[in-house]
Parts: sequence; structure tokens; C-alpha cells
Amino acid sequence: MADTWQHMQHVFRDIFDDEALDLQPETTAAGVEGWDSLTHIDLIVALEREFKIKFTTAEVTRLKNVGELAALIDKKLPVRP
Amino acid sequence: MNFVAPIFLLFLTACAVASRICQARFRAAFLLAVSYAFYCTRSVGAAAVLALLTFAAFRTALAAERTRAAASPAARWIGPAAVVFLAAYLAAFKIALLTPAHGIAGLAMPLGISYYTFRLISYILDVHWGKLPAETSLLNFAAYVAFFPQIVAGPIQRPGDFLAQLPPKPASAGAGWARIALGLAKKLFIADNLGPAINFVYAHVSTLHGAPLWLAFYLYPLQLYADFSGLTDIALGAGRLFGIEGPENFNRPFTASNISDFWRRWHMSLTNWLGDYVFVPLRMATRQAGNWGLAASITINMVAIGLWHGLSAGYLVFGLLHSAFLVADALTGRRRSRFFKAHPAWDRPGRWLGWFLTFHAVALAMVFFRAPAVGAAAALLCGLWSAAPASSLAAAGFEPRNLHLLALGIAGYALLEAGERWRPDLPLARLRHCGIRWVRWSFYSAAALLAAFGLALMLVYGTAAPAPFIYAIF
Repeated sequence: MADTWQHMQHVFRDIFDDEALDLQPETTAAGVEGWDSLTHIDLIVALEREFKIKFTTAEVTRLKNVGELAALIDKKLPVRP
Repeated sequence: MNFVAPIFLLFLTACAVASRICQARFRAAFLLAVSYAFYCTRSVGAAAVLALLTFAAFRTALAAERTRAAASPAARWIGPAAVVFLAAYLAAFKIALLTPAHGIAGLAMPLGISYYTFRLISYILDVHWGKLPAETSLLNFAAYVAFFPQIVAGPIQRPGDFLAQLPPKPASAGAGWARIALGLAKKLFIADNLGPAINFVYAHVSTLHGAPLWLAFYLYPLQLYADFSGLTDIALGAGRLFGIEGPENFNRPFTASNISDFWRRWHMSLTNWLGDYVFVPLRMATRQAGNWGLAASITINMVAIGLWHGLSAGYLVFGLLHSAFLVADALTGRRRSRFFKAHPAWDRPGRWLGWFLTFHAVALAMVFFRAPAVGAAAALLCGLWSAAPASSLAAAGFEPRNLHLLALGIAGYALLEAGERWRPDLPLARLRHCGIRWVRWSFYSAAALLAAFGLALMLVYGTAAPAPFIYAIF
């Protein structure tokens, strides 16, 4: 989980071009400058590449905050031995 | 009933008072009843169609939820099929409007069709995607779809947001009426005073040169903003009287320093709607196609925004122009932000230049939005640069009295912008919560005097016959 969070933070900082960006589980799109429907998909594509997973449209539209996104990614990651 | 008609304001007052007296558990039913009463004053037939569509969407959402829970293959198509049907229903009326007789067999455009079909579509998709549980009370759902303050011209409220506020708890009536007064002032004092000059110029595009065309070029965006945001203010204020908070539609759009920023500030409830239900699904489907996928998604989304207003070449050009601006913005955004980070001294001039370009791009697209035909828009744009001596409005037959109104409209607009810029920082508003009674009462009496003064100004200078709201026809 901590690992996922670190990777996510890295992707977020790259997409929003902000090295000081500090993710919290309750962070929403409204709280990050430049997070609109355009950058949202850039973010999803970057996360898909980073974690080698795939999201569906329904999953992407259901997300309410960064915490839910992290939980969704964890659910999709293969269980490590 | 037009929102500025005294009969509407009387109807609204009576309903708001009755809703307060009404017991909380009957309030949703009361809202539904007055909404349909309002709708029936336009057309009983159209109200019956609205009721039928509402019932069908209600049952469809329940079926979509049930089939998904049962993992039945029908879950995949029930929601999308309903959405296709609703979109076709809306498109059919928009196409019917193209025929000279205004519709198939004289059918009139149902009131607020563009708004209520979007509300039904978002509800079905939200349930289909599992974002929202299907509503189990037909009464609450029907009250959402038909809610009369929002049916004429939005804002387009999301089902989850509205349904969570039922049964409504009426809040302070003062806040509702203040918002309505602001909307009336924007409409009667600004939009309707700017309107006659702009209408005159657009009606005489081919014979005018230079200055008057520039006047219309710069003023139409301001008129449209005052008119449409005024209408939204009335809708939001009226909603507040019943205890329903609606979504904001505007956030000082002409302060935007780039075009995507403009669309985050202009007709926000429509832009967000299309963002969620058109752009995101399209962009998800084309996300492996790189920049081409991005350009295609933006273009389809913006053309949809344009054609939502009506199927005409002008709205199509409006959508295409905005897609070109937005694609250029999206493809260069990262490079621009890197440049300004590396060269902080350029940040301020860059913002000003961005603001200048954005306003002109928006005004350019609005020429095609406003002009009766693409040819007239082109004539206006060419005439701006015409070498012929600038024509004078008065010489072209424009009534001098209307020039005074125009000046008032411009002054009113400046006041509006100044108010939006500084009002949030003014400590004045805090006085009404002051513990000392005489301070509080001084605030009340000053506010009442100001309102009376504004009303007097409006009666003297406001136009005698209000023009219909621009956005009430979509």
C-alpha cells in the first residue's frame, strides 16, 4: 500500500508538473490546480503505464478522491507472494 | 411565464410561502405539483410527454440496477439503449426546428427539452456506471426532473446532488431574493440595455464599417454573459427559496487567461456535464491513440456543445473554433508552463497576453454564435478591417435614445465586474453578523436603501419591454 502511494505520488507530480504536490487520501480534483477532465485521463493513462493495469470508463467516473483511486489500483495489482 | 414577468415573481412568491408552511414530508410532492403547474401553463401535451419520459427513465434505471446485480447480460445494453433513445428524442426536435414550419405537424419545441433530457441521461448513466443507486421514490425523481426554477434554462443539476437535498429545508429567504434581484439587475439593467445596439449592428452588418462593428464584437460577449448569468442567478435564487442549492454556472469567465480556463468558468454546468458523459468516455476509448485521440475527443465534445444550442452552421463553426483553440491549448500546455517556470519574469506579461488572446478568441467564436448566418458573421469580421470610413450608428438610423441606454448598460457592466472582483473581500457583509445592534441595523437600512435606489434606477432606465432570455430557447 505504501509502495502504491509512493508510485502514485511520483506520477501525480509528473502530470501536474508540481514537485511539492503532497497527496492525501481525501484529496479531490478540486484541490489540485489544473486537474480537469483533460488531465484526469492523462493521469489515468500514466497510472496504467506505471502499474501495468487497465481501468474501465465506469471505474474512472466513479472515483471520488485519491484514496479511492489508490484502493482501486491495489485491487487490480497481482497479489505478491 | 418569463422569469422577469411580474406574474412569474408573484407565482414564485406564493409557492415559496406555501412551501414553507407545508410539512417537510409533503414538500417534495408540493414541488412536483407546482413544477407541473408551471409547465402546463406552456403546454399540457408537453407536460404529459415529460411525465411519460420521467416514468420510463425511472423504471429503466431500476431495471438497469436489477440486471447488474443479477449479472444478466441485459445490464450491458439497458442503460445505453435508453441514452440513445433520449439523445435521438432531443435531436429529432432540434432537426424538426430546421424545417420552415417549425416542427413536425406544427409541434412546438417542448419547454426546457435540452435541459431535462440531459438530466434524464445523466441519471441513467450514473446508475448504469454504479455511481448512484437507482432512486426508489418516483415522486422525488419526478420532482428532480421537472423542478421549475431549473427547467427553463438550467443550471443542469446532477441527480445525486438534487436528490440528497430532499425533503428540502428552506433556508434564509433573504439570500434567495438577493440572488434573484442580482439576476434581474443583470438582465434588465445590463443585458437589455446593451441589446438594442448589438441587434441593430447585426441586422445591418453589410452596410456598416469599422467602429460600430467593433462595438458589437466587444459588447456581445458581455450582453450574453449578463443575460445568461442573470437567468442563472434567478434560477439559483428561486431554488434557494425552496431550500434547493443548485450548481453555479459562471465564475468570472472573462478573467480567464487561457481557453481551457475559460471553459472552467463559462456555462460550467453544461461543460462539466459534457466532460463527464461525453469527453471522458470518448477520451478513455481513444487513450491509446495519443494526440489524435485527444484532438478527436475535444472536437466531438466541443461540436456537441455547439450543436446542443441548435443544429445550425453558426453553432457548428462556434464548436469547431473552440475545439481548435482547446486542442492548441492542450498540446502546448506543458511546454508553456515549463517556459514560464524557467522564466518567472515573463509570467505576468504572459498572463496578460493570455487574457487578451483568450477574450478575443471567445469574442470571435461568439460572432458565429450570434450572427443570423455564417455569411453575416464573415461580413462582420471582414467589415472590422474595412478601409472605408467608419460608419456612425446615428447616421445609419439607430435611435439616439438607445445610445444613452447603451452607455448605461456599459456602466452597469463595469459595476458588475467591479462587484464580482471586490465583493468577496469587502468587510461590509460581515457587519450583518455584528453583535452590536445599531451596527447591524445600520447595515440593514443601508442595504434596503441601496435596493430601493437600484429598483428606482431600473424603473427609470431599465427597458420597458424586457427581451426574452437568450438561453431560454435552447
